[in-house]
Amino acid sequence: MLSERERERYKRQMMLFGDEGQELLKKAHIFIAGAGGLGSPVSVYLAVAGIGNLTVVDRDVVDQSNLNRQILHYDRDIGRKKTESAEEKLMAINPDITVRVIDTTIEEKNAVDLVGKSDGIVDAMDNYPARYVLNNVAIRKKIPLFHGAICGFYGQATTIIPGQTACLACIFPKAPPNEVFPVVGVTPGLIGMVQATEVLKYLLKRGELLTNRLFMWDGMQAHAEEICMERDPRCTACGSFCGTPGNEQ
Amino acid sequence: MKVRVRFFARFRELLGTDIIAEVAERTTLPDLIKQVAQKNIEGHHAIFDEHGQFREYVILMRNARRIDTADAAKNVVADGDEIAVFPPVAGG
Repeated sequence: MLSERERERYKRQMMLFGDEGQELLKKAHIFIAGAGGLGSPVSVYLAVAGIGNLTVVDRDVVDQSNLNRQILHYDRDIGRKKTESAEEKLMAINPDITVRVIDTTIEEKNAVDLVGKSDGIVDAMDNYPARYVLNNVAIRKKIPLFHGAICGFYGQATTIIPGQTACLACIFPKAPPNEVFPVVGVTPGLIGMVQATEVLKYLLKRGELLTNRLFMWDGMQAHAEEICMERDPRCTACGSFCGTPGNEQ
Repeated sequence: MKVRVRFFARFRELLGTDIIAEVAERTTLPDLIKQVAQKNIEGHHAIFDEHGQFREYVILMRNARRIDTADAAKNVVADGDEIAVFPPVAGG
């Protein structure tokens, strides 16, 4: 049940999806992998929307060079754990939700447990090996993976529904080399909003998800386009997905 | 004959986009991309390795259909084709 305070807080968005929708958001548990450039705007907007349970995972401490884009962290947080900083800000933004933070590296061996009973995973990572780990967990648990990535003024996003859509490894079977990428804060801001919008739509069961479509944004040209994607039957991650119950964690 | 080549992200920065290329009959997909990428050595290097093979992470689309880079040489381009070439964007 929503409290009076929550009703007031969410009044303007409940005009869109009512008590029922807001209750769906309140009951939801979303796993946000990363509290950096993408994780910052995603977690802030999911918190203000009233997603009842957020888990945020990051292993880093705040560095001065993060502050041009990682809006969860302030100058005074330099040297502090990003998870600690994120928890403080998100709870201050919305004390009516539950925020759980975990200071660790997401790896094959811990990812299934970290994700736990979440309803969906937001990919706010900065490298493909970690993304492939999240992709595998999403497939195993049959929960969506909301992918986003950025470089400079370019960004991309897609929504992966295991068993129904192309997975991350169908779309990008091979990782590009790891490198220090240029970035200006507005790009993860924009792509993070695409991801957060997808999370809301998925939980509310409304609208058309960004499935089997790779959204591509070129900020310099102010141009968005999408490329259709399809499942790869030979995909090493989801190719043998049979869609039968029993392998959930 | 004319084909349209579209690059995205880093490839676009190095090579531009929406390129209309004039190509000879029986030009294959790798030959087309090499021809267009010739103008910028860094762009060429971003797409092809030292053996002239597509780097393994390069994504190729022909008329909105995915082409496996390993099979690209079997694809002869046709007049009016639209080819998209892009890398996975990785940052977060």
